Amino acid sequence: MSTPSWLYYLFGGLMLAVAAYCLILLALGAATNRPAGRDVEISHVFMGVAMAGMFVGPWSFGRRAGWEVIFAVLMIWFLVATVQSIQRWGLHLPHALIHAVMNFSMLLMYWFPMSGSSASGAMSMSGSPSGPRLDGGLAFVVAFILLASAIFTLASPVKGRSHFGSHAPAYALQGAEAVLRRPARDGASGALVEMDEAVAAPWLVDVSHMVMCIAMAFMLMLLV
Amino acid sequence: MAGVEKRTAPEPTDVSILTGPGAERPPRDLQRTFQLVLATVWLFDAVLQLQPFMFTRGANGFSGMLDNVARGNPAWIAHSIRWNASNVYHHPIPADTVFAGIQFLIALGIAGKRTCKPALVLSIVWSIGVWWFGEGLGGVLAGLGTPLAGGPGGVFFYALLAVLLWPSHGSDRPFVAARTVGVKAARAIWVVMWVLLAVLAVTGSGRSPRALRDLVAGMEQGQPGWLAHVDRSTASLFLHDGSTVAVLLALVCLAIAAGIFWSPAVTHMTVAVAVAVFALISVAVQNVGGILAGGATDPNAAPLVILIALTYWPLTDGPATSTGRWGPSSPSKEA
Repeated sequence: MSTPSWLYYLFGGLMLAVAAYCLILLALGAATNRPAGRDVEISHVFMGVAMAGMFVGPWSFGRRAGWEVIFAVLMIWFLVATVQSIQRWGLHLPHALIHAVMNFSMLLMYWFPMSGSSASGAMSMSGSPSGPRLDGGLAFVVAFILLASAIFTLASPVKGRSHFGSHAPAYALQGAEAVLRRPARDGASGALVEMDEAVAAPWLVDVSHMVMCIAMAFMLMLLV
Repeated sequence: MAGVEKRTAPEPTDVSILTGPGAERPPRDLQRTFQLVLATVWLFDAVLQLQPFMFTRGANGFSGMLDNVARGNPAWIAHSIRWNASNVYHHPIPADTVFAGIQFLIALGIAGKRTCKPALVLSIVWSIGVWWFGEGLGGVLAGLGTPLAGGPGGVFFYALLAVLLWPSHGSDRPFVAARTVGVKAARAIWVVMWVLLAVLAVTGSGRSPRALRDLVAGMEQGQPGWLAHVDRSTASLFLHDGSTVAVLLALVCLAIAAGIFWSPAVTHMTVAVAVAVFALISVAVQNVGGILAGGATDPNAAPLVILIALTYWPLTDGPATSTGRWGPSSPSKEA
């Protein structure tokens, strides 16, 4: 008896849902000049699509090297954003750092695909059985960080930080509300801004972050 | 607000204004932070419960794991454990799905402020059930309850943490564990816990060099190279000096039990020693519950013992007072 395939379809479906949600956010954000969160949205779209393909084989596409380049570039982007945030605001834990860790996790998934013997038929991550295995210690630490991010995001009294960051220029003054309602959305249609405010609700972006973190931690545990 | 109109944020002079809508950062609620760490561990357990082998039958499956813990227990307890394992054997997928679901519920529940208390109650009930049916009472009655192996059982400490971290208003001083149950009760819990660990360290197979060696030697397979190397060294140490290690561990546990009755400086050192000893046990003996080899359901007991120890970290430098609270700098305000 093998692992129920519905579990992988469930995670794959959730990943596609997060990717689709972030794609909508990206489009609305561009149309309404929303000042923060675009890099996270781009990152989540790629992660969602890539991980959906890992959970459900037939949904995967593209060359592995291409995905590796995408996630390496995104990881560097977020690392630079982390350094810039610390340089600007002093020592703190920038939200960009967890997104760098998430992109690093994606790289681990491509560098150490699941061994043939432990991969389910539904999954596309099966590599050669003799290929290198992900170090359990590294997987454990990264997975724990991702799960801690999910829990602390859920518990945070300030919603939306996982997506917009607490140090985005507008957010620094008024929180997620300012990012969404910022008057400086020059020329944007009122209806679109309203739609963006509804779709980019802080609790909703937090939920998408949590789902992504939990799915990633699960995938890392599968790779050990 | 004029500043919002601008494209760039004003240069702040105080980083605390950048935390969001609030102008000032509220004092850190350490009890809440510990609750969230506990929730993270529960979430980790839930994710581990979804591993492929947990949905399978047979000796290496979930039901096989449950069946194994019956070994050595009194007949009627072993019978109840085997009955539960048999149910899981016949319905592995629904059973494991429910088990994982409950752990997700506990983790996410603790993270929510309004759902924290019900989730902690559920965690206590669940822990008792798992302690009986999933850990065979931690091997205590079978003489296998040495703390080196995770005795008296990881879930025992989950339940203890749920009690110590029960939400309450008031100060985190003199230490977080005292916030809800009070200083005297918290210290009593500490003493009972560490004396129990000391006793378990030298009872049953806890002082048998061969049994201790087998404990580690059996875990080497599938571990990362560096950990397998550590395991070989530990196995060799246990084979040659297992009894000495057991007695030393018992003495250290007794010293830790007594260490929190002294000045905060001594208590700091006591907690640090407790954390260091169990961090060593977690890696060198328990192999973080076997997670790194990809076949575990939890990180075993040591990380939970460390978490409990940290809740006793003194938060003030003042001298101990007759009321049990430390120092004049310790606020006695209770909401």
